[in-house]
Amino acid sequence: MNIAHIEPFIDSTVGLFRDMFKIESEYLTPYLLNRDSPYEWDISGIIGISGDSRGVVVISFEAAFATEITAGLVGRKVGIDDPDVIDVIGELVNIVAGNAKKGLEEFRLSISLPSIVKGFNHRISWPSNAPIIGIPFKTASGKFHLSVGLENIITPF
Amino acid sequence: MRILIVDDSRIMRNIVKNALLQSTRFAHATCLDASDGAEALRLIKASRIDLLLLDWNMPMMNGLELVKHLRAIEEYARLPIIMVTSEAAKYSVIEAVKAGVNDYIIKPVSERSLLEKINRLGLQGARA
Repeated sequence: MNIAHIEPFIDSTVGLFRDMFKIESEYLTPYLLNRDSPYEWDISGIIGISGDSRGVVVISFEAAFATEITAGLVGRKVGIDDPDVIDVIGELVNIVAGNAKKGLEEFRLSISLPSIVKGFNHRISWPSNAPIIGIPFKTASGKFHLSVGLENIITPF
Repeated sequence: MRILIVDDSRIMRNIVKNALLQSTRFAHATCLDASDGAEALRLIKASRIDLLLLDWNMPMMNGLELVKHLRAIEEYARLPIIMVTSEAAKYSVIEAVKAGVNDYIIKPVSERSLLEKINRLGLQGARA
């Protein structure tokens, strides 16, 4: 797997959790995501990429972890339907994608505004023009998942 | 001192606002906020703003469009503007500086870098 262009996304994710939440995260082995497999997460933040490549960046959480990191920022308990959770997950995927552009400066990329999808095992309409690489992360507080697809930039082999 | 914080994330606006109000220098500043460039423009035209802290990626009118709009108006040509954004590529920084921002902060925002960048602008009346 050609992971050279995945590293900026991994680096920005690890840095984001360390700087914003004081949480150390560890990434597990990246894999080629099967579009038809169940996507067993409760909430996802999605950003579209355009410019020299087209693609998508998705960060997905279990409800408990999403509400925990949101509560840490807003200073109160929140439920998964709280608008602040949507706000936080949207901002997280925005920062992951925006920061990753620093490591992909040879490409001129634009990022969209984030969208949020909720509900266990929600479906994401993955773009068909690029393989999607899944990157699981674990932390002491919970786990989350990053998915990245960038046409002609990230290739599975 | 009147500071306008513009970001489509309410939580990010609050993070920036709290960092300012918890600092010695800006504890008495008046912080206004807007969730997009168009709303910010209305506030800027309606009242005096001494410093604009501006996100880039927002609906309606994004931060870069607002900077270009403001710099084309003589009254706002010198309004101090710091872009606070996730856009970390060098070409983004260059584009923002060319459009007229005074400085640039890459999210996630640290209180220290935020205050350092504002202090570097040498704004007067920070305790007003």
